[in-house]
Formats: sequence, C-alpha cells, structure tokens
Amino acid sequence: MNRLNQLPTLRIDPAVNHSLTYRGRTYQGVAGDTVATALFANGVRIFGRSLKYHRPRGLYSLDGECSNTCMEVDGIPNVRAENTLLENGMTVKEQNVKGSAERDWLGFMDKLDWMMPAGFYYKIMHKPAAIWPMAMKQIRKAAGLGIISADHKMKGRYDEQFLKAEVTVIGGGAAGMAAALAAAQSGRRVILLESRPHLGGCFDYRVSTTSDGTPLHERARQLAEKVKQTTNIRLFEHTSMVGAYNNNLITAFQVGKADDGFTECYIEIRSDSVVVATGCIERPLLFDNNERPGVMQVGCAHRLARTYGLLPGNAAVFSVGHNPGLEAAVDLFDLGLKINCVADIREDGQDPALLLALTERKIPVLKGWVATKAHGSKMVQKATLCTIDGMVKRQFSCDLLVASAGLTPVSGPFILAQAIMGYDDHTGYFLPDQLPEKMFPAGRITGINDPDAIETSGRLAGLEAASAAGADLWTKVAETRNALAAMPGPERGCKLVIAPVKGRKSFICFDEDATVKSVKQAIDQGFDVPELVKRFAGVGLGPGQGGIPGHNLPLFVAKYTASKETPKPTTVRPPLVPAFIATYAGYNHHMFKRTPIHHSQKADGGIFRNIGVWQRARYFTADVDCKEEILNVRNNVGMLDASTLGKFRIHGPDALKALQRVYVSDMGKAGKDRIKYSAMCNDDGCVIDDGVVVKRGENDYYFTTSTGRAGQTAEWIRYHTRYDNWDFHLVNLTDAMGVINLSGPNARKVLTKVVDIDLSNEAFPFSGYREFYIQDTIFTRALRLGFVGELSYELHVPSSYMQAVWDLLTEAGKAFGIRNFGVEAQNVLRMEKGHIILGQESEQRTNLLDVGLGFLWDRSKTVARTVGAVALRQAANDTGRLTLVGIRMEDDARPARDGSLIVDNKVRGYVATMRRSFTSGEAVGMALVESQLAGAGTRLEIFEDECNGVRIYARVVPMPFYDPEGERMKS
Amino acid sequence: MALTLTCPICGKRNGYEFRFGGEDKGPRPPEEGLTPGAWCDYVHMNNCTAGVQKEWWFHRDGCGSWFTTWRDTTRNLEAEPPEANK
Amino acid sequence: MADIRRQSPMRFNTGPCRTEVRDNWTVTLAYDDEGDGPWLTDLAHKIRWDLQDGNIDAVKPSGLTIPASPGRCTLAGGTLINRMNGTQASIYHLGAKAPALPDFAGYTDVSESMVFLALFGPGVFYIAEKLTNLDFMDPAGKAPFLLQGPFCHIPCQIVILEKTPDGSGGFLLTCSRGYGDSMVAAILKAGAEFNLRPAGENRFDTWISCLSGEI
Repeated sequence: MNRLNQLPTLRIDPAVNHSLTYRGRTYQGVAGDTVATALFANGVRIFGRSLKYHRPRGLYSLDGECSNTCMEVDGIPNVRAENTLLENGMTVKEQNVKGSAERDWLGFMDKLDWMMPAGFYYKIMHKPAAIWPMAMKQIRKAAGLGIISADHKMKGRYDEQFLKAEVTVIGGGAAGMAAALAAAQSGRRVILLESRPHLGGCFDYRVSTTSDGTPLHERARQLAEKVKQTTNIRLFEHTSMVGAYNNNLITAFQVGKADDGFTECYIEIRSDSVVVATGCIERPLLFDNNERPGVMQVGCAHRLARTYGLLPGNAAVFSVGHNPGLEAAVDLFDLGLKINCVADIREDGQDPALLLALTERKIPVLKGWVATKAHGSKMVQKATLCTIDGMVKRQFSCDLLVASAGLTPVSGPFILAQAIMGYDDHTGYFLPDQLPEKMFPAGRITGINDPDAIETSGRLAGLEAASAAGADLWTKVAETRNALAAMPGPERGCKLVIAPVKGRKSFICFDEDATVKSVKQAIDQGFDVPELVKRFAGVGLGPGQGGIPGHNLPLFVAKYTASKETPKPTTVRPPLVPAFIATYAGYNHHMFKRTPIHHSQKADGGIFRNIGVWQRARYFTADVDCKEEILNVRNNVGMLDASTLGKFRIHGPDALKALQRVYVSDMGKAGKDRIKYSAMCNDDGCVIDDGVVVKRGENDYYFTTSTGRAGQTAEWIRYHTRYDNWDFHLVNLTDAMGVINLSGPNARKVLTKVVDIDLSNEAFPFSGYREFYIQDTIFTRALRLGFVGELSYELHVPSSYMQAVWDLLTEAGKAFGIRNFGVEAQNVLRMEKGHIILGQESEQRTNLLDVGLGFLWDRSKTVARTVGAVALRQAANDTGRLTLVGIRMEDDARPARDGSLIVDNKVRGYVATMRRSFTSGEAVGMALVESQLAGAGTRLEIFEDECNGVRIYARVVPMPFYDPEGERMKS
Repeated sequence: MALTLTCPICGKRNGYEFRFGGEDKGPRPPEEGLTPGAWCDYVHMNNCTAGVQKEWWFHRDGCGSWFTTWRDTTRNLEAEPPEANK
Repeated sequence: MADIRRQSPMRFNTGPCRTEVRDNWTVTLAYDDEGDGPWLTDLAHKIRWDLQDGNIDAVKPSGLTIPASPGRCTLAGGTLINRMNGTQASIYHLGAKAPALPDFAGYTDVSESMVFLALFGPGVFYIAEKLTNLDFMDPAGKAPFLLQGPFCHIPCQIVILEKTPDGSGGFLLTCSRGYGDSMVAAILKAGAEFNLRPAGENRFDTWISCLSGEI
C-alpha cells in the first residue's frame, strides 16, 4: 500500500523498514508503525475472530480499547497489536481461529447466536450433570482469545521504579503538557505520563488551528519541545497509567524502547497532587454489524492517515455525532478519500465552518441521520443510513464506515481514586460529583473542545496542582480561571443511545461478544442495573474493561428500564489497561540473609533451606536422616553454624525493668559469669521465645533470642514498655557475631588447642559464661550450654572473624574426628534430650505451663507487670489444656510423621517431633496431648495423612530419652 | 497500599513501612486486684471505630519507634499528624 | 599458627588490582577497571559506633556536637555523626584511622553488625529509585542528611552526602550484615544499565575529600 509520505503529522519514518512474519509470509512495515498498522499497510483487514461468534474483527479504535486486534506476538498471546510498536523480525499470529482469520471454519457460530442467550453458559447443559464436563470442553475449544501455554517463559527484562514528585500529570496531550509546564514553573518536580509513544494527544494529528492560526499538530510539537527542555519535568512516553489510589499514589508501566535496557518497567509514583488530562475516547455507535471490519471510529480513520500515512479506505460513509467527525471527513477528503455521504446524528448545532467546508467539497450531509446497518459478510460493502426516528432509509456503497456517537471522557483515574461519579446532562459525560483530594481535571475530559480552552484549562490545572503541593500561585490561578471562563465552554454532547435497530447484531461489547439483544435479555431476567448486566451478560469484562461499553451500557440500561434515576457508570479496577504479570513482578529480588560462613558451609556440601529471613545448612550429606552427623556429635565432636541466633545488648538505667517486663523469670538474678535461661510470653501467656541472659555490667545485659524472633525483639520490648518512658537502649547484635556450636565429648579437647583459658569443668562449668580473646585478637563470648545434650561450647565471635575461628577449630579438631552438623541433626539431637524448639513443640495457643517450662516463671514479681503473667495465673488452674509429653512408638521401626494427629473419636493432640533415635534404636518423640492423656503408659492412637484407616500406636514415656541425669552435658 | 503515615522521627512514609499496634487503650493495668475479665477486656476488646481513631504504629522498616496517630478507618487515611512519643 | 584474616559481608566478582592489609582486613584500594562511574565501594572495614543515651546532647563524640534534630548529620574530619532519634546517633569513621571506642556505656561498636557501602557518581540516584521509594532527591533535603527506611525491602540507614538536581552525588548505606550478598546483587543488577562498577577505597577517599572541601 502506498503511504502518504509527506505529511507533517507523520509519526513513522518511511525510510526505515521493519519486517514481520504473519501466516508464513514476511511483510514490510516502517519504523513508528504499530504491529496493527504494519499489517493494515499490507492489506490485512481481519485481525482475528471474536470470542463466541467467531465474527471477523478489524481496526476500530487504534488505542486498544477492545480486543479486536489482540494477537499473539512473539509467542505472547493477547497482545494488543495496535498498542505495540513494530520491531524488526516480529512473528505475529491471529487468535481464536480454526483455519485463518480470513477463512475461519467456526465462522458459522455467528448464525447460532439464538442458541447462546445471555447467561447460557451458567444455565444450559448442566442437566444431566454428566454432560457438563464434555460440553465445557467443547465450548472452551471453540471460544476464547489467545492460548497461554503452561510452560511459557516470559522473555525480556522487567524493571521497576519508585518515583517521587510534587505534581503528576496523567496524559500528554495539549492540556497535560500545558499543565506540566505551568506546574514546573514553580520549580516543583513534575512527572508527565503519556500512554502513546509520543506526546500530542488529540492535537497531534489535526490540521485545524488555534486562534492564532497555528495548526494543532504544530502546536503539539511546540509544546512537546518545551516539555522536553524543562529539566524539572520527567517525561514518560508509552507509559500507561494502571492504578490510582487515595493519597495520590499512581501506578503505571512504561514500554521500553530499543535502547532502554528494559522490556517494560513498573512505575509507582507518590506525589502531592495529580492532574488528570486523559482526554476523551469515542462513544461507539450502536447499529447492526457495528464492528464489521471496515467500520472504524473517527480518531482511528483520521490517525491512520495522518499519523501512519495510510488511507483507511477508498470510499467512505460517515455516521457521526460530533464536530471532530466532520473535521475528519473534510481532512480525509483532502487527503484523497472518496466520501459518499456524511450522516450527522444532530439535527443542528454543527460547526458552521465545517458544514461550509463539506459543502465546498460537494460531500452530501444528512442531518438527523444515523447508520443502522453495515452490510458485507467479512468486510463492509455497503451501509444503510436512516433518520434517527427510523422512518426513511437510504443505502450507500462504501468500504469504510466511520462511525461514532460522540466523545466519552477517560474517567478511569477518577473511578480508581474512588470518586463518586455523576452524570452531566449538558455533555452527557460521566464525571465525578466531587473530585478526590488534590486531583485536578484538565482538557477535553471536562467537556471542552476549543483548542485554546484545552490549553488554558491545562495551565489552570497545573497551577492549581502546584499550589496544592505548596507553591503560592493563587494569583495566577485566579487569572487563568478568568481567562478560561472567557473561552468556549463544554459543548453539548450527542445523546443518541442506539440507532433505530432491534440489536440482535449490534454489539455493545466487542471483547465478550455482547449484543444489545443480550443486554435486553439480562434486564428482562431481572439484572436491571449496569453492574449486574455487566457480569451476567459479560459487558466490559474483557481486556478493554469499559473501553467500548463503559459509556453506552449505563445509558442503554437507563433507557430500556425507563429509569428516572441518574445513570451510573460501572466500576473499573486496576490494571486499567492490560499489563503483564511479569511487569508487576518487576525485579523480584530474593533478599535473604547469609551467615558469615555461608560460602564455606556450601563448599562443605551443605544443603540449604530458607529458615525465616535466613538460609541455613540443613544437611551435609544426601542422607536426610543425618545418621553420620548425629552419631559424630554423640561420639566425637561436631560443629554447627548457629549464627542466626538473635543477640542483643540492652543498657541504660531502666534496662532491668524492661527485661523484667518481658521475661517471665526474675531477671534480677542474672549473673556475670553464669547464664540465665528464661522465656518470653505474650499477653495470653503463650510462650513466644526463649533464650539466655548475661549481666555484663551495671545496667548492661547481653541476651539471645531464637532465630525467628530476632527481627521482632526490639519491637516487642518497646511495645510492652511504650507507656513507661523508661530509659533503656537496645542494640541488635544478631549479625555482628557469628555463633559456633562446638558439641560432643571431644569438644573440650578441641577448644583447648585454640584458646588460652582454663576449660576444666571446675573453671568453666555448665551454664558458665566467659569472655576472652583468641590469639589475642578475636574477642569471644563463650557460653556452656547443652542444647544437643553433650558437652557444648557456644562461641560468639565477630562476624568478620568467624571464618578464621571456624578454620582454627576445624584444624584443631581433625585429630578428634570433627565434622559439620546441620539443622536437622541438631533437631534430632535436642529432641532425644527433650529440649524443645518453640514453634515446633508449641503452637500459637501453647502456654509456658503446657510445655513444662512453668519453673521459669517467677510469680512474685507482680510489680513488673510481666507480659503474660496474668494469663498464666489464670491458666494454672485450667484443666483440659494440652501438655507436652514424651512418646514412644509400639513399633520402633515406624516413627510417626511430625504433625500427625493423636485421636480417639476426636482429635486429642498431635505429634510435634518424632524420629527413630540412632542412639537407642527407639522411635521416640514429643507430642502435645490433652492433659488426661498425659499419664505415663497411656496408649495413644495416631492418625497420619493418607493412612487409609490404619492407625499406629504409641505410649507416653518419660523424657528425656537420652542421658536423663545430664551427666554428659554437664561433664 | 496507598496509606501514608507520618512518623514523628522520619516524616511521611508509605504505610507498608509500618506495623499496626492496635487501638490506644492506655497503660497496662496493675496486677493487684485485676479480675480475669478486666484483663481480657484490656487485651482483646476493641472499639473498632468507624471513623477517626487513635492507634499505635511501629516504624518497622525505619527508625523503630512506636507512636500514636489518628486514622480514618472508613477511608484508610491518616487524619491528623501523630503525637510525638519520644 | 594460621594467618588470621577478616572477611567482608560483600563480594564482588571483579578481580582487585591493588589491595592492602589493614587490621587483618584485605582492603581493596582500586580495581582493574572501575569505569567512569557510578561506583559501589565496600567499606566493611570502616569503624561505626552506635550511641544511645537519655542525655545524648551532652555527649561529644570525637569532640563534635551531635546534630539536634533527627535526620540531620555532621561531617567533620572524616567523622560522620547521624542523629537517628531523640536518644540515638550513629557515628561513622570514614578516614583511614578511627579512635578507640570511648569508655562510656552509651557506645557500642556496631561495625560488625552492618553491611557498609557507598554508592556514588553520576546518575546514582536513578539507581536508587529503582530499589526504594525513599525520597533521595527531595528538594527540601540538604546534604548531608539521614534516611531510615527500606532499600530493596530491607531496613537501612542511608546518609545522602551529596546530591545534584541531575541525580548525581552519592550516599552511604548500612543494613544487617547477613544481607550483604543479596544487597550487592540487587544493586549491581539495578545499576547495570548505568554502568555501575565496584570501586576501591582510593576512589571513595577522593570523593570524600572533595566533599569535605566543599562542606
């Protein structure tokens, strides 16, 4: 197809060719083309088939308000071809066709519309029930848009940006640009979003002029140049707004250009105020076959010629309801389009200059006429025009029917920002009754069409927005408001709801193939408000949301139900335009913590698991039972990286008071050389954390928490002291120190080789705490604990030195069979010893007494108002709570799984942890059971998932299962 | 997502930097003479005001301070700037 | 006896060109190809203190006055003091040597707790806005100033030392040490399109001495 190559309005570069592959053939487009315009230039008129009826569909709006030109582009289905810039080498496929878009075997579906009334999918084919799965399969084969393959991997780079500005302007037309420029004069940061790949809006392609005689397209380019030269305006082109939230949070996504380094970029903008200059789209005209390829909206036809240099047809009929329609007819005629007739819905009120221009060009104009039918099975061949009362009809042959009922504002941003929408009688627009805070409308969205007024309203909104963001521009605001008042105001809109047709083939929503007839059926069945019709008849549920039916549906429902109430538009929701999930996902950084020796643990064969915010080594061999690791701790010596342990310093005059508040024990007894073990409860007495405390100096304590609680500990302590104004200070040292747990009968022998202090049991006994330097350099805190039930030293060393200490111990331990053990081995070792892990031997409702830690609670310190104490006092007398007990399977070869239920005729408890002990050969574990079942020797029935009715049995036995006297731990 | 709160230390920030700490119910009652019912009411009973209420918030991702502020629960917007709580 | 070395929480996959051992740290002075900026420098070896006291305004770290209002910072003689809240300040020693921790209970040496890095050079704030919604380029904020908030979803302390309207300048960032690798990976990924490269201590020192001249 020959392009109009010399127009000043073009947004293509005819000198740069881009090719695409479609149906096995290579087509040439040019730089600046969209996929749709490139195909159109090559004679493609049918882009795909519709959802239900397999009707042919073509270019209609050019801005992606409907799914007509959704295609599969480079393997991605449902891409809006008219919004996607052509890139060299793209592969494009049509959707929902059996055969081709041109010759679709399922085209006969269009004749079966009588079988598919509104709601048929919910109501038909479910009797008998057996037929439904088959019917559903067939329907889904025949209907739908693109097909997503389950293993599809998105290509490309998805970026994200979190921006701040004082003023955000949505829409880069003349009003938006004027608003941005006006707001930027105040020095405030301004962000300007434009959904098309270039600025200009409705000025971009028009040759009519402003009051000083500048053609609009030239004016658009002047403004764009100014915007680009203003340093405090950040311009985002090809960026669609997808969400607007209260507090003026705007989300959008930008489509990357070749040199951008991203495919799409998610943008989140916080600004003080927002200008909405999204302009208007067109209100589709409802008549028979109103979506036949060859029927298109005014802007579509006009922009095809002016922006892309493509004449939209050879011979045209216009059926319009507004002046831009007449303007387009004049301009397209001048560009070489033959126009057989222009029908204007309005009886009067047309711009006289445009009428004169049409007369001069000998184009017949019918006032008070409207199209009622497009003829032609695949393409428009002929149009029937009719007076709006339906009395007189005439037919005109044509291959292009430009049809539009008028304009409709793009009010999505207001609806998203939760404005209450009203109906304006003069323009016929749905506009907010009350604007959301600090949101200002500008340009055509307010109903104006005069070019000077559009710019001035933009300037006004920009000044208002900057003022709302703190600039003092109120004098200028008043001046501009006066200037605007002197200009032409909103124009009266065309009110015709539907051409005089029955509506069996008049489509109100293209995406879901919803006709006027199906809307009538829905209303007749009682779904008589737009929000209900929308869901029942599927009007506006497609990719375009309300783009095509948004304005017509409420008008039609109001008319058909003869409602006296103001019509209300249906709600749109984010994303306002279709966006990739990959774009929302953005970077998807996986942020997690590594311990100081993460990399050497990995080199040692560690298999890592996510545990809270950390990754920890769970096993060091493929043996998930960890036999070697466990037995080595029992017989020789092992080393565990326990760096994830929470570690804190608390200091200040009221430090002890704070500890007394959150710990159940009397923390006044915490000593200098001995550790004090205690627990924290919540206000219900449920145990949430345990750890040890050391008093390192006057008003200066060091304490540990479990891995999972470290992140919340400061928050917790401050929360429970928030009314007290106590003078204490917390320092989170969790990451400052690596922790090495050196455990096993040979632990002392290993450590002796590395440190200089006396490690004898008398000099450094169980529960002792010591501080010393390793090699006079590495400050070390050593705690004698026995979590795994053996002689153990827990060494807290500066993180940067942890690898060095680990290596020293590894070297020293070689002679004693030292080796790594992981989290799972520790889990088994401590379970044999009857030591609990909170979260494993407890759940949300488990209190301190249930798990047998009641001895930690000091009942006498009521003055401290200890968190949990009141509830514990109450719970102490409760019967029927769960109690932690030791259990052993009757069959040692068959340990129950963690979490299995203990049952009789109802659930009586559950197994917390159970393993077959390598030390004793017995299948032992811990369980929380109702207190009546806690007596030694009680037989417990255990239900496992998928046990097929077969129960397994255990008995309550004394704990611990290993070294009950603690001789090994304390030796 | 759109909620912003004004931290007395850090200023206005995105809502998701904060943790909700419940309605403001005053200091912990003394343990002496406290009935279980009164205690449960203190811990668990809430007014759930439909409108502006005083609440505790924690600047979890920021300075780590607890403070009170007023929020309009019907619009999920901060109604008044907060009281500084040290 | 084994040679004791300290390890930084951050790792770059770039071979260093010149290093120096200082207090058991292997400090990279310069990398082979540091590019034209922006740059990312590991400052793990620089000493940082936490200071908390009920009467903090009376404390004079290294003889300096602590800024009165939260968010404000003082940079003098290689010592940076950041006021965090009513009772707390952080102190970064950016110079080659740091004084010994004063014998006062309010101080804690937290050098080991945190990742400590500098991001500086042309367009550096355009990298930042890909990772955080904190307002680095707030026209009202006059460098140096402190932001406490999420960076890459991780709570951080960030000190903006220099900023120009074109998005250039630089800042220091600390976060929990365990996040070192994750943080570096995220920053380098976001900075790739701006040609962000690791830089050695020399380049950081040059920047800081330029700044100190200005301030």
